[in-house]
Amino acid sequence: MDTNIRICGEAGQGVQTTGDLLTHALAAAGLHVCATQGYMSRIRGGVNSFDVRIGDAEVLGARVPAELLVVFTREALDNCRSSVAEGGLVLFDGQADDGVIALEMAKAAAAAGGSALMANAVAAGAVYALLGLDLGSLRAALSKQFAKKDESVARTNIACAEKGAELVAARRGAVKCPKPGQPFGAVVSGSETVGLAAAVAGVKVVSSYPMTPSTGVFTWLAGAADRYGIVVEQAEDEIAAINMVCGATYAGVPAMTTTSGGGFALMAEGLSLAGMCELPAVILLSQRPAPATGLPTRTGQEDLLFAAHAGHGEFPRAIFAPGSLAQAYDLTRRAFETAHRWQTPAMILIDQFLADLQRNVAPMDETLRPIDRGLLDVPPADYRRYAVTKNGVSPRAIPGAGPFVITDSDEHTADGHLTEDLAVRVEQQDKRLRKCKGMLAEFLLPEFYPAPAAEVLACWGSTWGPCREAVDLLRAAGRDVCMLHFGQVWPIDGRRVKPMVAGRKVTMVEGNATAQLGSVLKGAGALGRFKAILRYDGLPFTGPEIAERAAGRVKS
Amino acid sequence: MSARKAEPVGRMNETAWCPGCGNHAILKTLDAAVAEAGLDRRKLMLVSGIGQAAKLPHYTDANVFNGLHGRALPAATGIKLANHELEVIITSGDGDMYGEGGNHFLHAIRRNIGVKCFVHDNQVYGLTKGQASPTSELGFVTKIQTHGVVSVPVSPLALAIVENATFVARSSAVVPEHLQKMMVAAIRHKGFALLDILQPCVTFNKVNTWQWYKQRVKELPAGYDPANRALALETALKWGEEIPIGIIYRAERKTFEEQQPALAKGPLALTYGK
Repeated sequence: MDTNIRICGEAGQGVQTTGDLLTHALAAAGLHVCATQGYMSRIRGGVNSFDVRIGDAEVLGARVPAELLVVFTREALDNCRSSVAEGGLVLFDGQADDGVIALEMAKAAAAAGGSALMANAVAAGAVYALLGLDLGSLRAALSKQFAKKDESVARTNIACAEKGAELVAARRGAVKCPKPGQPFGAVVSGSETVGLAAAVAGVKVVSSYPMTPSTGVFTWLAGAADRYGIVVEQAEDEIAAINMVCGATYAGVPAMTTTSGGGFALMAEGLSLAGMCELPAVILLSQRPAPATGLPTRTGQEDLLFAAHAGHGEFPRAIFAPGSLAQAYDLTRRAFETAHRWQTPAMILIDQFLADLQRNVAPMDETLRPIDRGLLDVPPADYRRYAVTKNGVSPRAIPGAGPFVITDSDEHTADGHLTEDLAVRVEQQDKRLRKCKGMLAEFLLPEFYPAPAAEVLACWGSTWGPCREAVDLLRAAGRDVCMLHFGQVWPIDGRRVKPMVAGRKVTMVEGNATAQLGSVLKGAGALGRFKAILRYDGLPFTGPEIAERAAGRVKS
Repeated sequence: MSARKAEPVGRMNETAWCPGCGNHAILKTLDAAVAEAGLDRRKLMLVSGIGQAAKLPHYTDANVFNGLHGRALPAATGIKLANHELEVIITSGDGDMYGEGGNHFLHAIRRNIGVKCFVHDNQVYGLTKGQASPTSELGFVTKIQTHGVVSVPVSPLALAIVENATFVARSSAVVPEHLQKMMVAAIRHKGFALLDILQPCVTFNKVNTWQWYKQRVKELPAGYDPANRALALETALKWGEEIPIGIIYRAERKTFEEQQPALAKGPLALTYGK
């Protein structure tokens, strides 16, 4: 059983503050929490929403109906009222109405001795009362949130929360709440998870230009820089960012840049440089709807083909697309390892949905475990950076320690010097592309959930959660269906994927308009005909939506 | 082939420069300056973009990062952050640094990152065969600018001074002794150093020739105070019958790398995993 609480209001009104507070408090109360956000591209105004979905078992994504809607403005009320579930309630900072409980939050905060800003605590207290929950975990969350401030701040906030609960006491327990169990895990977001995994993997230079929805990872790394010994630099543009990464990797440290589609477009030449100079550049590409500026704060999975083909010329690369938070942690590390093992760029593809997604999950290891850079201990005197080898990987040394390390964006000899010797050109290009074979052998096979079935819903990246929920719903209704989730989307080993899907009815479920992974699978010879459930309105899939569309009740 | 492979990698034997090109003199002077400054060649890191000047790193004994057009500065910045014990010198042209890489130029100066930026400024594009560069003079006629250049040239030195650069100097390939002095001073400077090197292009610039520069470059007077920013700006803007050369502006400011807590324990590349 699960319950959905939606908080809506203008940007700047505390939608996120209230949502974050409830997310942490409800997790501490022993519930499974999944928080998702939708916001407009502005600092103030508009209608932003924050969903806190709570359950007595894992909750993997959002759903549309909300049992409890908390709204700060009339516009938000008008906008979101239709999404209230049958029998659901609305908590409104305004006039009461049918199914709408009036709660003047700022006034209540003042009555409790607080400021207008503490209206968020009032709202959270009221939500707790409507759910029939004890305020203990909310009090604890507020104490924790304001631990660094004067003790009176937490105390006043707690008084505000109590006031909110008191004002709706008559409706205590009016919203059905899943049964809390033992509190477990920690609340983390997708952005935080990727940032943490990169820091743990030993990233030492991060240079980026801020761009939604990638900024969360950048910000997290800046906050962790002192703890992990990372230089974090806000570059003047994305071109500088990727070229700094190229320079830093050449000189011997794992380095990364974070960006979104438009910024990544500017990085295309630098990506090609990393391919040519065989640099282990790592790029976090957090997707949003495009073309051009598109829908800056919304979500989408439109850049798979772009990521796979960006950069002029031909060179190997690997692209990982995590679904769960645990996978975001694992695959971020894998991206660094792959980039270093094969001395070529690797990318991590997430999107606004996963970046902002928060869940309480098993705690992640925060201990620094630097990856192997794959450097020669002592380079020989006749060291050559681009020596031709069987698997395409040349022994790697870094400048400063001994023999010269020479690299060039021009075609180069094994020495690294530029050349127009066309035989050498072919030899070097063959060498670089030979890495593809080894990289393909390391292809991360897609995973079935729960087990292979007649019908397959195939997806990648963040669609994992909603798709898995859809499979559960469909199977509960008697359908022989499963999910096949791709955590690596490039390169695809078609020969190994083909038998996995052969003889099954495949439907691609993707956050884009053209089924990009479907075409990659086709190109890899893994897939013939397929159907598609696609979404590209800027909002994430929900489990019930996929289930309904797969069941054929809604045309895809 | 196998016999050759036993040898350490060093410089390329042949350059791609025209006979009489100013680059030859700059290369020779750089080698002399590196020796005079007592640099350990193993720690010498030459970074460049694309252009005829940007090929220089291949023609001497050093570590080389010959990257993308206009992107020498961010690449050099990344290298310096990964290993700040490397002596990072950029050798690139005016198009690379002031045109394609203009934005990076502005921001590298703000950072005061400890890289030395030697700009071969010949006021023309050589590698692409003779188009105007950002420093070409008004009226300079090319196959593209057929009626002559109508955009005013950039003033790189003035720009750098306005941007609070900490070392701003000018010299020329036509005065190698002076150039060597400037290179050594730039290498010894802590922080970002800009050295604009006026250089003839014998093939595509028939205006700003060896003779033209020789007649105009003039060393700063004895007693010139490079700490005087207003005077420096005035000096940097001087151009015409007399072109001042020397250290036009010098200031002290913390370097970018000095202000990175992560670098306190030593170069990231060398302390990695320790």
